[in-house]
Amino acid sequence: MAPRPGHRSIRVDGSGKPFLQGYRCGACGAVVPEPTMACRACADRTPPAPFKSPETGRLWTWTVVQRSYPGIAVPFVSAVVDLDGGLTLKGTVVGVEPAQLRQSLPLRLVYDDAGGGTDKDGAPWIGFHFTVAGEA
Amino acid sequence: MGDVYIQGADMIPFGRYNDRSYFQLGAQAVLGALDDAGLSIRDIGAVYASSCFNAQSMLGQKILKEIGQTGVPCINVSNACASGATAVREAWVAIKAGIYDMVVAVGAEKNPRGMLGGAPFEGPPPEGLFGSESMPAVFAEAGMVHAQKYGTTIEQFAEIAVKNHFHATMNPKAAYRSETPLEDVLASEMIAWPLTKLMCSANVDGAAALVLVSEKKARELGMSRAVRIRASILTSDPYEPRNPMMFDPNSVTRLAAAQAYEMAGLSPQDLDIVELHDCFAVAEILHYENLGLCAEGEGGSLIDSGATRLGGRIPVNVSGGLLSKGHPIGATGVANMVEIVEQLRGEVGARQVRDARIGLAHVLGFGAAAGIHILEHA
Repeated sequence: MAPRPGHRSIRVDGSGKPFLQGYRCGACGAVVPEPTMACRACADRTPPAPFKSPETGRLWTWTVVQRSYPGIAVPFVSAVVDLDGGLTLKGTVVGVEPAQLRQSLPLRLVYDDAGGGTDKDGAPWIGFHFTVAGEA
Repeated sequence: MGDVYIQGADMIPFGRYNDRSYFQLGAQAVLGALDDAGLSIRDIGAVYASSCFNAQSMLGQKILKEIGQTGVPCINVSNACASGATAVREAWVAIKAGIYDMVVAVGAEKNPRGMLGGAPFEGPPPEGLFGSESMPAVFAEAGMVHAQKYGTTIEQFAEIAVKNHFHATMNPKAAYRSETPLEDVLASEMIAWPLTKLMCSANVDGAAALVLVSEKKARELGMSRAVRIRASILTSDPYEPRNPMMFDPNSVTRLAAAQAYEMAGLSPQDLDIVELHDCFAVAEILHYENLGLCAEGEGGSLIDSGATRLGGRIPVNVSGGLLSKGHPIGATGVANMVEIVEQLRGEVGARQVRDARIGLAHVLGFGAAAGIHILEHA
């Protein structure tokens, strides 16, 4: 069964390849993560237009989560990442020592299987995480 | 147009009430506030009732079924952690408009247990896969922005908890009344760096209520214990580029603060006492700057200086704050104002701020809303 986007910013193109979609206002340039009826920044009535977002960016802020909801594996690094092109995403940074983390650290988005789960029909999810740019 | 006055104020002790419903807690707070004002529910023209989780259950009507079904309008509001301030603000608007002479604003809550936060989502459960939506993680990330920009340390954030837990030892209505030295705060369970468990607000039940009256009515009832509302402000979050992927506690609070100081014709230097929304220890340092209690980037040195401790230049969260008095979501915004009212009247005993004449109460609702009230002893 074809994989389904497991995050609202993920889309799948005609060949089954995932990409990231953001929305940019033609009037003021504001970038938002979801479609809206008008621009939430400047209230222009032309809805912000979809664009394909780059998958590289920089760390804005983070925390190391040591206790989450019951059943969630810890620790993990929760991060807010400013992607090149203006879209901001929250995500988990994998394979990084907390001591390495600093504002503006270059990061790269990597698609994954979102923990291996499926939807109710058995279709696998497409998720993502971040790694330090330049590392495998 | 006359001013609006607070004539009655009360809160129940915050804690766990396993054998009582949220509306019984609310009814008890309303009776306390009415007694404080020397009034009956029969005098009240409208009830503004707040609960983050139970407003839709007709909270105000349920309260009146406990204490007297007078047939007056009940307006039930939910606005996240700003629910209580929203009820007070709506009550203020109604009196300001000249529609009523005497109204009640009440907040009552029995919080869900455990760690709060997160939202329903179609897809794989996002927690851990796409970072964290837990409230401690969200506020930790906001605190880390400050730490990166200004070098604020975990010790400075922890000192907020030390101070507020110390203040709570003097508040018999606070849920937690134990002093926590710095080493205890730092050694408690790490939840989300830099927030340890003792730097997270206490998830408890509670209720608080205020009786608001018109200027004409305040003069009839006697002004000796009346408290004047100099500003009543509610804002929603203005656009910020990272919002909503990153919660921004700052811009919505700054918008409210600017409007509140303008409405009151006052500046931060005029304040004698502040109750602000310390849902997590990092938030108090952010709000020092958001409310103009210090200059940009000086929140860390403000806590170091002792200025915000009882006896300091501008005592903050003398009630113990959300960290130790507790944070029953929909009651918090009303309870913050009860503390200011009782401080301005000089009725709080050991934790009394000397000669307090003007106080500010602030709350922040996730999603977002900010409520600020500036009060002055009449």
